[in-house]
Amino acid sequence: MLISCNRLKKYIKNSEDIDFVKVWDIFTMRTAEVEGVTIKGEDLKDVVTAKIISCERHPDSKKLSLLKVSDGKEEYDIVCGAPNVKVGLIGALVKVGGMISGIKITSRKLAGYPSNGMMCAWDELGIGEDHSGILELPSDIPLGVDLTELYPIKDIIVEIDNKSLTNRPDLWGHYGIAREIASITNHELLELPVLEVPNNLSDLDIKILEPELCRRYCGIKVRNLKNNQTPIEMQIFLSYVGMRSISLFVDLTNYLMLELGQPMHAFDERVVKNIVVKKANDKDVYTTLDNVERKLNKDNLMITNGDKYFGIAGVMGGLDSEILDDTDSIFIESANFQAGSIRKTAVSLGLRTDASAHYEKSLDPNMCDFALKRLLYLLQKENPDMQIASNLTDIYPNVLEEKKICLEKNDINRYTTLEISDDDVVRILTSLGFKVKVNKDNYDIVVPTFRATKDISMSADIIEELIRMIGYDNIKELPMNINASSKVWESIWDSEYKVKRLLASVFKLHEVHSYIWYEDEMLNKLGIIKDGVRLLSQSKNNLLRDDLSLSLLPIVKNNFKNRNEVNIFEIGTVIKNNENHSHLSILLAGDEEKVKDKYMMAKEIVMYLFKAIKHQNISFKNAQVEAYYKEDKSLEIICNGKSIGYILLFNSRINSYVGKKKIIVAIDLDFNNFMAINKDEKIFKEISKYPVVNLDYTILANKDLKYQDILNILDEFKNKLIMKREFIDVYNDHDKLKYTIRYEVGSLEKTLESEELEKFKNKFIKHISEKGLEIII
Amino acid sequence: MEEKIANLVGMAKDEISKVTKEADLLNIKAKYVGKKSEFNTLLSSLKDMSSEDKKIYGPLLNAKKKELEQLFNDKFTSLSSSVDLSFDETLPVNLETGSLHPVTIVAKEITDVLKRMGFTVLKGYEMEDEYHNFEALNIPKDHPARDMQDTYYLDNGLLLRTQTSGDQVHAMEKYEVPLRICSPGRVFRNEDLDASHENTFFQIEGMVVDKNIKVENLIYVMREVLKEVFHQDVKVRLRPGFFPFTEPSFEMDMSCLICGGKGCSTCHGTGWIELIGCGMVHPNVLKNGGINSDVYTGFAFGVGLTRLAMMKYKISDIRYLNSGDLRFLEEFEIE
Repeated sequence: MLISCNRLKKYIKNSEDIDFVKVWDIFTMRTAEVEGVTIKGEDLKDVVTAKIISCERHPDSKKLSLLKVSDGKEEYDIVCGAPNVKVGLIGALVKVGGMISGIKITSRKLAGYPSNGMMCAWDELGIGEDHSGILELPSDIPLGVDLTELYPIKDIIVEIDNKSLTNRPDLWGHYGIAREIASITNHELLELPVLEVPNNLSDLDIKILEPELCRRYCGIKVRNLKNNQTPIEMQIFLSYVGMRSISLFVDLTNYLMLELGQPMHAFDERVVKNIVVKKANDKDVYTTLDNVERKLNKDNLMITNGDKYFGIAGVMGGLDSEILDDTDSIFIESANFQAGSIRKTAVSLGLRTDASAHYEKSLDPNMCDFALKRLLYLLQKENPDMQIASNLTDIYPNVLEEKKICLEKNDINRYTTLEISDDDVVRILTSLGFKVKVNKDNYDIVVPTFRATKDISMSADIIEELIRMIGYDNIKELPMNINASSKVWESIWDSEYKVKRLLASVFKLHEVHSYIWYEDEMLNKLGIIKDGVRLLSQSKNNLLRDDLSLSLLPIVKNNFKNRNEVNIFEIGTVIKNNENHSHLSILLAGDEEKVKDKYMMAKEIVMYLFKAIKHQNISFKNAQVEAYYKEDKSLEIICNGKSIGYILLFNSRINSYVGKKKIIVAIDLDFNNFMAINKDEKIFKEISKYPVVNLDYTILANKDLKYQDILNILDEFKNKLIMKREFIDVYNDHDKLKYTIRYEVGSLEKTLESEELEKFKNKFIKHISEKGLEIII
Repeated sequence: MEEKIANLVGMAKDEISKVTKEADLLNIKAKYVGKKSEFNTLLSSLKDMSSEDKKIYGPLLNAKKKELEQLFNDKFTSLSSSVDLSFDETLPVNLETGSLHPVTIVAKEITDVLKRMGFTVLKGYEMEDEYHNFEALNIPKDHPARDMQDTYYLDNGLLLRTQTSGDQVHAMEKYEVPLRICSPGRVFRNEDLDASHENTFFQIEGMVVDKNIKVENLIYVMREVLKEVFHQDVKVRLRPGFFPFTEPSFEMDMSCLICGGKGCSTCHGTGWIELIGCGMVHPNVLKNGGINSDVYTGFAFGVGLTRLAMMKYKISDIRYLNSGDLRFLEEFEIE
């Protein structure tokens, strides 16, 4: 929002004492964020009022005119290209040596004729965008007067961050900002003059059918008006704060919104019959002022006139009630609409206007009649002969009363150690429009309604007012006292970090972050059809992932553009059965011939994680998996009899999606289940004081057997002398496989006798051969 | 005599340096310091010397013999080892390390300093309900604050959380006061992507509820956290802010580390960087969490972890962070 300091100065007594450049630093610290301060009119020099006393066509040019211009003392020859030049016109002359927009004007020849100065247009003065012709000032203006003395061209324009005003409806007008500045600088806020309406005529026919959505509606008819030119002062102001000047009536309503934050609307009175505020019919079509057809819905609040739509309440008026050049009587609306309803309507119609932006902030309904009277006051200044043609009709079903809050003095120091005296409390709150009564232990505070619509409702809100005006910069920091209880403790985040560190440091993996939704493009290319939770109103990439590994494939694919190996992991959320699940996915991807290495690395990583974090051994079993994995190369990870995750190999279609002749091994752990496994606390294991013997056996097996089959047979062989069993290696031998197994055999009590060893060997060989296998000794 | 000894030692050293086989070395050793060696002959000739000469040559001979024996032993050790030392020790290695995501690293630093101050690290839910994301945080339906954060709503009636602040509510539901928690996590906002906007990014939430918790404590904690992350003292300042779930609400700025507070393009000439939204926990939020706001106060803060990581590592484009591009990610450390 843009704020003109010239306007603010009019609202504050002795405002000349305030440095309006520097005060905004304090404003940022006390009230709201200032985004920029711009000085206007500094780049003008020697621009004076001057009258055209003669005007001739340039003999060789269609556009140029040869002027003689007088500033009351001297006459100047000027060549001018504006179309609206005529004798008697008073405009703005930049004298030789003077400046506009920082450009110095010199004496020079233009199209063969001397030109000593320049007559300028509004935009050349840095005001607005009007370049249609030179300024035409009122005919009663004295000549030779510096323009910056005549008009408020020199100004300071401040941009305030709209977001930081979200909760302050009162700051959406200059007067509210002035109140803050007055409070910050200890100045007095001046009251605004208004026109009191005698109300001795008749009321207008106004009805509110939705008192929840339209809290108040004030209207009045005014006649015998001329839609004159808007005063130049006001035009400059409007331009500086980013509004286009349209016509006096429209400009005045805009001005009031900028001054008090209250949106107003002027209708052509000639068409006004009876006003009813009610909801629209579903699917009705209505053409707004901007000549766009809008499709309405039953939640849109409408202003109707004689049973026809007249405007979308709080958003925009309609074409048929537009103010025209010949409009000589107007109906003025000053109403209050419920913020949420306006917001919804504006969003649903895709039509956010200045008015709707203001209403969305929850404006004070008590502002309606005041703003209307203020507008009448300003209108009368421009139209001294105007006639009030009706009562100020005020429909206000549920009056918003002032809010009372009792603030306990002790309460302040629950929030800060700052000592705030009774005098401070009274001074600060009074300057902000509150009423305060000081009692022994508390303050009785009356909150002005312009702060009570949503901003201030309890003690904490008052405390905020007090300490922000004392200044947050006056609060010193203070360490907290330690409360030594350890009742609140969760380890999940630390565990995640521990796992991440192991993966990155021991296995040289890279942590990635991805999105929680699948890429449609990937799913389509792979022909994978999934169902699950979807994002609403997103046409693309709207399916939430239920398989972290699958969702990471685009990352693998992209990285294969620059490298041959991609070893990555993420701990992330997947959505299954409408629930959040935290999963760890590790992808080991590389060239086809590495498939065994990658697979074995995956096994090692999984076993390492369980060993290092949980001191647990795990087992694997064949698993049923999604079709995009190779089922015969998928293993389910079992710990303490519970399934914790999978080692998976993507099928060849997926592999070729990420790159030519590539393979991807995936580890998928349900991280919450992993964390839930109890850590197996290690108990000291005795080491034999006596020699142990290593016995290596090579077992010959058919190729249709897997190691798991051998393992099952080995597991069945139990003997108390076995201290350890190890898998050494496996070799191809023609049509057979040779597995080498090592047993560490011994006793904690004694050195084994050779007979005992022999007995062990025989038992083992017998067991193996009984199972149909052969041992090579 | 002295010359004789010197010659003998010189010859022995010469032969030791040339020998390549253990057997040869044994022979040489016998020749010089063995029982029948010239050294022993010299030693046995001592007894015929005058007592003065004895005093001079006795110790000299013994010392030299010891020196030679040591040389022989060293040579034996080196001959018996089979280590091939002919490699080029100046050859390079290709260092390969893993990496942690920059957000993980920054989150670790922040949680570490908070843990030192007694905070517990919690983990919230990315798919969240309206109650925890909005209602319990004093953001009723139709509140404009819901518009401030473009929410991803889901077809199951839930939403993707727009802020980690819901974890304040989870913490209050789960635990009793006093509370000291923080919660790093991913949040989602429906925004178009560009160099400074992401729809998926990280925040860390913090909350302290106890008797006697004041604004002053908040400032202390936040400044300590920033000091830890940026490894230098930073200045902070509070400005008025607005969040429905805190009252009073603050924006906390950190002195610009690029210009030291003088004003530069990074801080838009103000000398300050807006970094943290914080405030005293709103009494309504405490109430929603079942905490008596007449007895307890608290503060809460939300820090943009992604933004912090970008500042710390001077990352120019937010889109790198979720790209999974290892050329970018592998540069980050493990610690």
